[in-house]
Amino acid sequence: MSDVRALYFDGKSSHAHDVVLSAGFGADSKRVLQVRGAGLNLSWPFTQLRVSDRIGTSRRYLYFPDGSQCETDDNAGVDDLLIGEEPAAARLLHRWESGLGYAFAALAITAVVAWAFVVWGIPAIAKQVAFALPAETEKLIGGDSLSALDRFVFTPSKLPPERQESLHRLYARMTAGIDGASGYRLELRRGNRIGPNAFALPAGIIVMTDELVELSKDDREIEAVLAHEIGHLRQRHILRHVLQDSATVLLIAFTFGDLASLTSLASAAPTLLLQARFSREFEREADDFAFGYMVRRGIPPEMFAAILQRIEEKRPRGTDAPDYLSSHPATRERIERMRGAH
Amino acid sequence: MERTGAPEVALQFTGKAGEYFKIWIVNLCLGIVTLGIYSAWAKVRRKRYFYGSTLLDGSAFEYIGNPVAILKGRLIVVTAVAIYSLSKQVHYAIGLALFAAIVLALPWVIQRALQFNARNSTHRNIRFGFRGSKMQIFGVLAIAGLLVPVTLGFAYPFYFYMKRKVFIDNSNYGDRRFVFSATAGNYYVAALKVSLAFLGFVAGTVVTLGIGALPLYILLSSYAEATFARLAWRNTTLGAGSGEIRFECRWTTGGLFGLYFGNALGVLCTLGLLIPWAAIRTARYKLERISLQSEQGLGGFLAAVQEDVGAVGDEAGELLGFDFGL
Repeated sequence: MSDVRALYFDGKSSHAHDVVLSAGFGADSKRVLQVRGAGLNLSWPFTQLRVSDRIGTSRRYLYFPDGSQCETDDNAGVDDLLIGEEPAAARLLHRWESGLGYAFAALAITAVVAWAFVVWGIPAIAKQVAFALPAETEKLIGGDSLSALDRFVFTPSKLPPERQESLHRLYARMTAGIDGASGYRLELRRGNRIGPNAFALPAGIIVMTDELVELSKDDREIEAVLAHEIGHLRQRHILRHVLQDSATVLLIAFTFGDLASLTSLASAAPTLLLQARFSREFEREADDFAFGYMVRRGIPPEMFAAILQRIEEKRPRGTDAPDYLSSHPATRERIERMRGAH
Repeated sequence: MERTGAPEVALQFTGKAGEYFKIWIVNLCLGIVTLGIYSAWAKVRRKRYFYGSTLLDGSAFEYIGNPVAILKGRLIVVTAVAIYSLSKQVHYAIGLALFAAIVLALPWVIQRALQFNARNSTHRNIRFGFRGSKMQIFGVLAIAGLLVPVTLGFAYPFYFYMKRKVFIDNSNYGDRRFVFSATAGNYYVAALKVSLAFLGFVAGTVVTLGIGALPLYILLSSYAEATFARLAWRNTTLGAGSGEIRFECRWTTGGLFGLYFGNALGVLCTLGLLIPWAAIRTARYKLERISLQSEQGLGGFLAAVQEDVGAVGDEAGELLGFDFGL
C-alpha cells in the first residue's frame, strides 16, 4: 500500500504542514492512521477519525478528534487506507456518481418522473386547489376579460329581441336544474371574425355568438353547447389552467434554480407545449358534463356532434381566439366520442 | 489602483463538466425519488464539490454545512409559507398580520443565513464568519424598502453600495477582518455608466427591431456585473497593516458575455442537460480571474472561536431571495 501525501492543518493556524499518511499499528496493536511530517508524528485509531465522502476529484478531508484535519487530492489513496475500516455503503454514493450507466439511469428516472409529475401530478393538485379556493378567486384572475373582448372583438348581438329572450329563457331553465350554476350568466354577442363559437369566461360568464345561434338547426343543439360551457365553469377550468401553468413554470424554475436568469426563457417553452394537452383534457371533462346533462334531459348526443361538425366546417381560417369550444385536431375525435356514447 | 511588488496568487478551479454531470444527475434523481428530502444532502454535496475544487495556494476551500440543519431550515420555511397561505384564506387580516411578522423577521432570517453560510465555509481548517447585527441588516432593508421608492430609485446605487459594505465589513476569515473601502460615489459613477449602457441597449433593440434584444440584454447585464464586481473586489482587503491581502478581479464584459451567451444556448438546446457544464465553466471563468496579493503569504491566521447557530436562516434566505415573476 502506497503512502498518501496530504496537508495537515491544526485548526488553530492556517499554516500548512506537508505530511504523509499511512496505516500502522498502535501500542495496543490496534490499527492506526499515522500522520508524519517535519516535526510531526501523530497517530489516531481508525475508529476515532472521520473521513469526508469522495465527491468526484474534489479534495478529500480526514478529521481528527482534536479538531485538526488533513486535506488531500489522493482520493484513491485514502480509499485504500480505509479498506476494511468503513462499511461498503459509505462508497455507494460515489459509485453511483461516477458510473456512466448510473448517470443514464438517473437521467431516465428524472425525465420520466418529471414528465409524469407535470402531466398528471400538477393537474391533479391544481384540481384540488381550484376546488378548495373560494369562487371569487376566478374573478381576480379573469378581471375584465368580457369588456376587453367587447372592445376588440365583439359587437352587440343583432339577433331579434324575441330570439334573445327565448335563448335567455332556455339558459335559465337549464341552470335551474344544475347545482351551483345560479351564479353564472349568459351573454349574447356578434362574434365577427371569431365566427360561430361559445366561451366560458372567468367570473362565470358564458358568451355565445350570433353566428353559432344562426348555425344551429335545433335549440337542443344550443342546449348541448351551453351545457358544455357550464361544464367548463363547474369544473373551474380557467383557474385550474392558470394554476397548472404557474406550477409548471415554478417547478422548472426550481429545478434549474442555479441558473434562474438564463432559463427564464427556457421555462416558458415546455409550458407552451403542454398547453395543448391541458386544454384537450378540459374539453373532455366539459364534454362529459354536457353528455351527462343531455342524458338527463333526453337529448340525443347526436345533437352535440352535429353542431360541432358544422362549427368545424364554418371555422374561419387562422383565428387565434381563446377557444374553449373546440381544439382543431381533436374535434373529429370528440364527435366520434359523442356518437359512440349512444 | 496602486500595485506593490508582491506576487499575485490566482484562485484555481479543478472542477470538470463530465464529472460534475454525473454527480448532478444522480443527486437530482435521488432528490426527486425521495420527494425532495434528499435535496438537502444534494445541496451539500454540490457545494462540497465546488468548494473542494477551488484551490488557493495549493489548498482547497471546504463547505461543512450540515444537511440535517438545512433540511430542518427548509421544513420551517415550508411550514411558515403554508401557515401564511392558509391563514390568508381564513381572514385577510390574519394573513396581513402574519405577512408583517414575516417582514419583521427578515433581518433575523438574513443574518442567520449569512452566518450559516460563512461559518460553514473554511479554508485551511480556518472558518469564515459574519458578525453583522440585525440592526445593520434592518438598515439596509429599510434603504431598499423605503428610501429607494421615496427617491424614485435614485437611492438604488446607495442601497447596492450599503448592501455590499455591510456584508464585507462584517465578514472575517479566522481573526482577520475584511474591509470594504469603496465609496457611495464610486457606486454612483458605476451606476451612471450602466445607465448609459442601458440607453445603448434600448437603442440597439429598436434598431434591430427587437431581434437583438436577448443578446443585447445579456451584453448589458454582463457589463453591469463586470463593472460592479471589479469595483467591489478591488476595494476589498483582508486583514490590516503590511500583512493585508488585496484582491484583483479580471472579469470582462466580453468574457462574461461569451460565458452567458454560450450557457444560454447550450442549456436551451439540450433542454437543461448542459446545466452542469454551464455551472462548471461559469465557476472556472469567475474564480480563475480573481487573485490575491499579500506581502507576507497566507499563513499564520488564527481561528476565532465562535458559537454555533442553527441553519434556519440559510434556507429562508435562499427561498426568499428566489425572486422570479409570475
